[in-house]
Amino acid sequence: MNPLAAAIVQLWPYALAFVVAAAIPRRQGRWERFAIGLSAVLGVAFLRGMWPGAEAPSEPPIEWPHLLNVIVFVPILGAIAVLFLPRQAPRLLKRFSIAVLLVDFVASLWLLGAPMAEGWHFQYIADWLPSFGIRYHVAIDGVSLWLVLLTTLSSPLALYVSFGSIQKRTKELCFSFLLLHGAMLGAFVALDLFLFYLFWELMLVPMILIIGVWGGVEKIKAAYKFFLYTMAGSMLMLAAILYLVWSFKQVEGYYTFDYLALRRLVLPDTAAWLCFAGFAVAFLIKVPMWPFHTWLPDAHVQAPTGGSVILAAVLLKLGTYGYVRFCMGLFEGPAWQAGATLAWVALLGGVIYGALCAWRQADIKRLVAYSSVAHLGFVMLGLFSATRSGIEGALLQMVNHGVSTGALFILVGVIYDRRHTRLASEYGGLAKVMPIYAALFVVFTMASIGVPGTNGFVGEYMIIMSTIVSQALGRWATSQAAVASAGVILAAVYMLSVVQKVFFGPLDNPKNKSLTDVNTREAISLAPLVVLVFIIGFFPKLLLDRMHDSVTSVVARYVDGRLAYQDHRGRADTVLEPLLGGPTEAGYPERPAAPAEPSEAPSVAAIMHIDAANGAGVEGTP
Amino acid sequence: MNLLFALSPLLAVAGGALLLMLAEALGKPAVAEGINADGLVTDAGAGRAPELAVGSSVVLFCGAIFSLGVWLYGPEKLAGLDAVAPYFIVDRFSLFFSFVVCIGGALATLLGGGYLPEHGIDRTEFFSLVLWATVGAIALSAAGDLLSLFVGLETMSLGVYCMIALRRGSLKASEAALKYFLLGSFAAAVQLFGAGLLYGATGHTDLAGIGKAIRTVGEAGSTVSAPMVLVAMVMSIVGLAFKVGAVPFHMWTPDAYEGAPTPTTTYMAVALKSAAFAILMRVLVLSFGDDRLLSWGTGWPPIVATLAILSMTLGNVVAGRQDSVKRMLAYSSIAHAGYALVGVAAILGSDQAAPSVSFYLLTYTVSTAGAFGALILCGSQGREAVSYEDLAGVGRRHPTAALAFSVFLLSLAGVPPAAGFFGKLYVFTAATEAGLYWLTVLGLLNSAIAAYYYLRVMVYMYMREPVPGAPVAVPMKSSMVNVALIIAAVAVALLGIFPTKALQLAATALP
Repeated sequence: MNPLAAAIVQLWPYALAFVVAAAIPRRQGRWERFAIGLSAVLGVAFLRGMWPGAEAPSEPPIEWPHLLNVIVFVPILGAIAVLFLPRQAPRLLKRFSIAVLLVDFVASLWLLGAPMAEGWHFQYIADWLPSFGIRYHVAIDGVSLWLVLLTTLSSPLALYVSFGSIQKRTKELCFSFLLLHGAMLGAFVALDLFLFYLFWELMLVPMILIIGVWGGVEKIKAAYKFFLYTMAGSMLMLAAILYLVWSFKQVEGYYTFDYLALRRLVLPDTAAWLCFAGFAVAFLIKVPMWPFHTWLPDAHVQAPTGGSVILAAVLLKLGTYGYVRFCMGLFEGPAWQAGATLAWVALLGGVIYGALCAWRQADIKRLVAYSSVAHLGFVMLGLFSATRSGIEGALLQMVNHGVSTGALFILVGVIYDRRHTRLASEYGGLAKVMPIYAALFVVFTMASIGVPGTNGFVGEYMIIMSTIVSQALGRWATSQAAVASAGVILAAVYMLSVVQKVFFGPLDNPKNKSLTDVNTREAISLAPLVVLVFIIGFFPKLLLDRMHDSVTSVVARYVDGRLAYQDHRGRADTVLEPLLGGPTEAGYPERPAAPAEPSEAPSVAAIMHIDAANGAGVEGTP
Repeated sequence: MNLLFALSPLLAVAGGALLLMLAEALGKPAVAEGINADGLVTDAGAGRAPELAVGSSVVLFCGAIFSLGVWLYGPEKLAGLDAVAPYFIVDRFSLFFSFVVCIGGALATLLGGGYLPEHGIDRTEFFSLVLWATVGAIALSAAGDLLSLFVGLETMSLGVYCMIALRRGSLKASEAALKYFLLGSFAAAVQLFGAGLLYGATGHTDLAGIGKAIRTVGEAGSTVSAPMVLVAMVMSIVGLAFKVGAVPFHMWTPDAYEGAPTPTTTYMAVALKSAAFAILMRVLVLSFGDDRLLSWGTGWPPIVATLAILSMTLGNVVAGRQDSVKRMLAYSSIAHAGYALVGVAAILGSDQAAPSVSFYLLTYTVSTAGAFGALILCGSQGREAVSYEDLAGVGRRHPTAALAFSVFLLSLAGVPPAAGFFGKLYVFTAATEAGLYWLTVLGLLNSAIAAYYYLRVMVYMYMREPVPGAPVAVPMKSSMVNVALIIAAVAVALLGIFPTKALQLAATALP
């Protein structure tokens, strides 16, 4: 048939989606229609592209090894380029930064091309410091894939939103966001523990700049708290990393910082627990899990809107990702044994206590911040339950939380920009004046609570189911599932009560009567998130399929590692688990070749001129 | 000929110093301090600082290049070294430290070339003093005998005492110089007493011979008295710990660093500390390298570890309470001495320990020289940038100066990928290898505490504005300071991203 007809047959879903979506807004904005239409089109494209059931390709698709390097370093190089752009040209700076982040987003979509079978994909290894055994080793698997995509989606939205409220020092804002974006992506894909630590620390500096320069009243205190809390945790992690590297050297004789090598280590009891504690503290501070959560409300409330969005959407996920990749990957035994206790901490301290704190908040942003603590308590519960559906549910919930809480922060920023107050008591009956805003807020509230049909439901359901059947949680499993379900109800309580206070009820305050509804910028940044809420809510399999193989191998290794730890208990030596081979070991660091010729450096004894045998010392004057 | 080549770093700097003194003496006469025709007090200034700074930094860079040259040739291949050994040992260890000291001195002279004319103390003696102090520092790093140790130590210190008091009219500077002079002389006397005891006990003054003699303690027919050796060891450590600035022998550091003109402070912080660490390591490894003295139970490692813990903790905690950035940097250099002492303590169990301390001092030198240089850059005629308020808002008004300062502060704080992080990594890896786990954990926690006060400077620069109406420090325009900062920044970046070569070189430098 002729090409035009063929094109129409192929493209009709996209055209239909665009037309329907663009017809939704009942007001003038041309760009707004276009953006909503584009989000719908991309959503449909995502659905069609990821729909399972296509015939498996005969050979695995070619994975361009430099893709991850491009994704990580394009923003960092963009940040350096921004330094050279004139600060008197804010439009140029803004467009350049958004362009760089959008290029990064498009590049990251290529990651969806690989079906993420078991093992590492898009792997790139380069020697960096051979004497230390440090390599530049990046790779992606089902666990980190969706987090990388979440990051590349959230950053342009967050930066775009922040341009609405931040007008001064645009150059520093763009620099900070680009550097932060690159560092976060690097942390998600790094498989060398030193490289991971480097990106982990590198994230802190732009984040404190964002909080401290454009933040609220107590921004400096919040910035200090954030930086010092996180850095203290990372220092303990560094101590644990150094101990692991040294232990590996004792057993195998060469230095390596590579995750694939160090995860074979089975340490004696005390050492294993202390190293687990070092890593766990660093990640639990970041999550944040009670009692290390006190930096979060301050940081979120004082940060500007864009900063809060990126903090909630991505930075908190680094803690949970770090836990599943490093704590559960390196220290399976202590993680298993601590699982039940930590799950109680996550439930009572995170889910229940976080929800109760959120319920009492008068400041809406602080409420959403505490709700993050509660949601991530759920995620950690999923990780602690250590079943396949639990970990998949946790990973899915990480993406969900990024989408829904990121959107909630954008929405809080909307009314803060209008009235410069975030107290719920100042508002009331806003649904009458800002109906679109109210609708969006309610949609994301439902997503946050976990109403079926939205993304939150799937994640929470999987996590609670996994808690019931979990072996790691032992005899506490059922009671913990019951408490978690109560947590869901509490989430509904605090979110709906604030929605009622702010949107419904009488429109008493005269200052609220003339508020403008969501403007173009805010609508454009929320549109993709709305689309995602429903796509993930109705078609979670699209995301879960890609995680499946990797999570299966994570769980299998976790069980093996726990058995190895139990076999090893009571012994004081350090052994290595056997190399399994296979795709999960791709990129294993081999022992470096022995130097061919003896080094030119003289031995210590020769330098000291002390040679007892021939007595030819260099004597001074007696 | 070989000997001349081997001694070329020392001779280059000494020869350059002599030529510089000649140039200074035979050139234009300096304008003295006094009251000029308008009745205004004029500071010393003849405008000779730029050319002398260039000259002396060239001399010091030549010294560094010569050290590198002898290193690449291979000091083991040189014959005729026995003529100067053991007073002056030419090996990779002393060459590494003479390189570090020369680079630190070169950066300090470049900074002086910008600072001195700007703040009206354009006295030409500064540059000669730096050169002669560097001669002393090189001699100290290469010392293998108690006598040459003392000579090197005093040569280095006397030059610095005068450099501190350069601003003659300033009470603060005179007080600082006097404090350092008195305490320094006292510490040198203690060190000399220890040296005397060692000579009396062992009959040798050369460090290797002393070490050999100490190994015979406990054998039949040995005349070496163990208690005397132990007392002498403690006294030597005390004397050298003073020079290093370790707690509790640190009392002079904040006052001397704050009262001195900032280029002198830079020189003290980098060159003096590096040379003092070099001789400390040599004394401990050569003289007190006996297995019984190198063990945890009966030797010096616990002493050094205690000094390390006290220095790190006190340095970091008190630095956070300072209002003056210069004093904060002084306390931070005490803390950095603590981190390096962790590496020294690790000598007992790791053969990576001494190289890690050397590499740490290299990264510390470029980072600290850069930090003090950025502080110099932020102030100008009439108002030096000293307190945190002086730096408020610099990030907005002079972003390049603020960026430079931030890079060096992050390097000092140990944030990757700056050089300071690798220095700390290497030291803590060596400490882990030696089994000093708690020392490593304390060191890392102290790094986290230290982040607070380094961050505070960045907070003031980027996130605060100056009080309206308050006098504000304006950054100076000085090409020499810019050059010094660029060199330091490039070094920090290279050592941070590609430290392999430097690590390999440091690994071969064993005391």
